[in-house]
Amino acid sequence: MPPISDTSHDFHDRPPLLEARGLAFARNDEPIFGPLDFSLHAGEVALIEGDNGAGKTTLLRVLSGLLAPSSGEIRLRGEPLTLARLSPQVALLSHQAGLKHELTALENLRFAAGLHGQRKGLSPMTALAGVGLDGYADVPTRQLSAGQKKRVALARVLLAPVALWLLDEPYANLDLDGIKLVNRLLERHANGGGTALITSHGAYAYTSGTPRRIPLRPGIGHRQSAIETAAEQVR
Amino acid sequence: MSSGSTLAACSALVRRDLTLVWRRRGDALNPILFALIVIALFPLALGPEPQQLQRIAAGVVFVALLLAGLLALDTLFRSDYEDGSLEQLVLSSHPLSLLLACKIAVHWLTTALPLIVVAPLLGELLHLADSVRWVLVAALLLATPLLSLIGAVCVALTVGMHRSGMLLALLVLPLYVPVLIFGAGACNAAQIGLPYLAPLLWLAAALVLALVLAPLACAAALRISLS
Repeated sequence: MPPISDTSHDFHDRPPLLEARGLAFARNDEPIFGPLDFSLHAGEVALIEGDNGAGKTTLLRVLSGLLAPSSGEIRLRGEPLTLARLSPQVALLSHQAGLKHELTALENLRFAAGLHGQRKGLSPMTALAGVGLDGYADVPTRQLSAGQKKRVALARVLLAPVALWLLDEPYANLDLDGIKLVNRLLERHANGGGTALITSHGAYAYTSGTPRRIPLRPGIGHRQSAIETAAEQVR
Repeated sequence: MSSGSTLAACSALVRRDLTLVWRRRGDALNPILFALIVIALFPLALGPEPQQLQRIAAGVVFVALLLAGLLALDTLFRSDYEDGSLEQLVLSSHPLSLLLACKIAVHWLTTALPLIVVAPLLGELLHLADSVRWVLVAALLLATPLLSLIGAVCVALTVGMHRSGMLLALLVLPLYVPVLIFGAGACNAAQIGLPYLAPLLWLAAALVLALVLAPLACAAALRISLS
């Protein structure tokens, strides 16, 4: 597989796929993260780094359009973001996998394909095979392990015909093979001109190529920063 | 890359929700059993005099169905909220209000329609007059979708809260009262031989209004609940 920098070079002339300027979010006047500036071009994978409570999940929810930022702006392909323009271009993997336990893995993916559409050349069945769950199509999701549920959720992301992946803790609950699988999926997505933002608290990370790193520090006045200063003083 | 048509998304959603109801069919029977028990208890408590039961029959059936609907209301978005499916609905490229209208329609079909089908039988338990039977069915056919739509907006507002049952009941009941008054009013008018068309038409008008506005309000409320 060619290194990512070569393939992404062609995309750099266009406006960045995703751009954040002075992006900040506060809940009830308590800053959660930001202000944050970054831009992501097609073919780039970025890793959002931060401690527990630093606002990684909140950042992904803001970028997906589920939450409105309290200041700053998000641009998608150079255009300011609105939910209507955004949704056909984003796939979100959040902590709640969005799977129905009463349905089988395949039924869950068929529904996702009906709702979000499906990528050319992929079907719910091949997406399931793509995450290593060939034999599990007709198993109720309830009976799958946490890692297998994660894989079904990844298959849903894989199936969606979108350029931007927002993956919250994609490595959580996965075995070593699963972690390699996530990296392989991300690499293939990036090589195909896609972009991904992933969060991780650092135990496992995207290793192929050199992922962009977006360090996330809690907003000014945040409880977390007080704890950190206290911890440093102890040291 | 194809992002799929809105029609395909709606039919996928309807199919999924119907499959889910079928897989949890034990739960789906609850409202019907509840209404049956309430109605069967009335003659036991009030005594078996046909005249007395006949007088209250339509009202009792109406109230029993309304409460049975309230019982099932909280399940409308609860599991979708908890497992993250609701987020996926909001993030889809299709109009959220339309998707929610589909969900509400499936909910009405699976919780209210079976009750309407058995309503004449339930009325029979209370010696419901023949002249009122079909007015009752017509009133229920207009009133229950209205109750589902109004209820859905309130559920959407409260779904983000834990233990929202009490709050939901408080929100919903004042909005249910006019529906009950018009619906039971039509039945009472039919019983004493007065024209009953006007209250039915009021219900129909309110239903048309709710069909248009409730899904939009529901979508707005859900976006707030999710943020």
